[in-house]
Amino acid sequence: MQRRDFFKKLGTATAIAAVVPTMSFAAGDSKPTGPNKMDYQTALNAITGGKTPVKSDKVKLKTPEIAENGAVVPVTVTVDSPMTPSNYVKAIHILNGKNSNARCIDVFLTPANGKAMFSTRIKLGGTQNVTAVVELSDGTFLIASQSVKVTIGGCG
Amino acid sequence: MKTGIKIALSVAMLASLSFGGEQFAMSDADRAMYAEMSENNPADIMVADGEELLGYMGGDEGLAKYLGVSEDDLPTYIAGFPRYIKKFDMVVGIDQMIQAMMADGGHKPLKLKSGNMFSLLAYVKSIANGEKINIDVNANPQMKEAYALGEKTFMTKRGGRGLSCNSCHSPDVVGRVLRTQPLPDLGANGAKAAATWPAYRMTKSSLRTMQRRFQGCMKNALLKVIPIGSKEMVALEVYLTDKAKGSEISIPGLKR
Amino acid sequence: MAERKSLIKIKPKRYKDGEIVKVSFMVMHPMDTGMGKDKKTKKIIPAKYINSVKFVYNGKEITHMNVWESLSVNPVFTIYMKVNGKGKLVVTYTDNTGEVHEKSKKIKPRG
Ligand code: HEC
Repeated sequence: MQRRDFFKKLGTATAIAAVVPTMSFAAGDSKPTGPNKMDYQTALNAITGGKTPVKSDKVKLKTPEIAENGAVVPVTVTVDSPMTPSNYVKAIHILNGKNSNARCIDVFLTPANGKAMFSTRIKLGGTQNVTAVVELSDGTFLIASQSVKVTIGGCG
Repeated sequence: MKTGIKIALSVAMLASLSFGGEQFAMSDADRAMYAEMSENNPADIMVADGEELLGYMGGDEGLAKYLGVSEDDLPTYIAGFPRYIKKFDMVVGIDQMIQAMMADGGHKPLKLKSGNMFSLLAYVKSIANGEKINIDVNANPQMKEAYALGEKTFMTKRGGRGLSCNSCHSPDVVGRVLRTQPLPDLGANGAKAAATWPAYRMTKSSLRTMQRRFQGCMKNALLKVIPIGSKEMVALEVYLTDKAKGSEISIPGLKR
Repeated sequence: MAERKSLIKIKPKRYKDGEIVKVSFMVMHPMDTGMGKDKKTKKIIPAKYINSVKFVYNGKEITHMNVWESLSVNPVFTIYMKVNGKGKLVVTYTDNTGEVHEKSKKIKPRG
């Protein structure tokens, strides 16, 4: 009631201008609309075309060992690469082991990035592995994995 | 007597208090990684938004003018809120000053509990980032009174479980674990709470203000929820801001 | 139709031409998986997630991303970028319901 008193005497005028929205709807889009389902192995094969990725310490995967909130799990992938036109990281893929869709994100880089790094936050529905698959410009695939223990799930 | 409270509390809390959906504490090992996340605090978006909104009212310059200080003194001045403002004969928070500025500028004031107001408050407080909290609870009788009311509100046991804020936030119980959540010290030695709100709450995926956080605790602990901007709420903020006096302001915070 | 709020952050704030800077794109987006239920109505919340993000710097695409629903609510996308002259960085995303959003930031190297 103190609060209402505070402005009681003041008239109302123009409302504060809203931030201009910048979105529109594209018609006839055929992108997926429902929950996607893909298991880890299928996802990995789809990325590598069946090639076996090589474990490499050139790929640094940073994510917590224990995530107290599965809804927000920070993940950073860094790859040791000169990022020159003849030798660069083409893509960084992040996969989870057990969500109903194993794919989190594919990041397609170019030499214009200067450094090969990608960082984001993901949801994990329970304790599982987080995996980074890296494609180099020469067609090789590298892989790094880490288990993340989740105390509350992230998929409500 | 203190031990009495402690025991009663731990039993009461462990046995029956439910913090629906918010049950786990951040493990120390991973705290650092989450702290790193604050580099890209999602609330930065709201802070930028708040800056844009303030822009419609003359930006930092307009704010300084309204508050009657120079732009150079603005950060230090903001670091001293809540303050007694003579014009309104009230102790007010920054958000209320923003409301007043809107009204005086011919705008319809935003509600204190609105998202846009949270963004504005976060931006305005972030102007004081790097400044130390300099609230003066002895500046005048009104501030003294607000402090006393804040302390009383903090200490008074209410609600179905007969808990006060102090039940969970007194130095005696700090660090104890309530359903795996460590109870935070709200003063300069702990969470420096007042210096880190408004903050992004990961469990809520949104920007929350300190008074909104108080409401969260009230709801969880079954204390009747006091409205944002009420005399008691501002007084609570005065009391806890004084506890974090000297702490460096760092907005937006990032909380569980 | 809710308006989206987003932000492009560049670190460090001041940079030189040729410097490699960290670029973060943050957006308020629900990233609904299509499996969650509304607590009140108990109805399934339909999937609504960002499915692609593109970073274009002075007309040249430097990074694009395919995105799925496992990213957190209000997601962030952080990459590096080599500063190569004055101009504009434009980040665009689309989501699975056809929402399109664009945010741009001036690139102003000093020295
Ligand atoms: C039943 C115990 C309990 C009671 C009663 C309680 N709180 Fe809390 N409070 C907590 C817990 C636990 C947390 C930390 C939650 C977390 O980590 O997310 C917390 C967090 C906070 C924070 C945020 C600290 C930070 O990290 O910045 C503030 C501020 C706060 N409480 C104020 C209050 C006030 C004011 C009251 C009285 C109205 C109150 N609390 C009553 C348990 C309680």
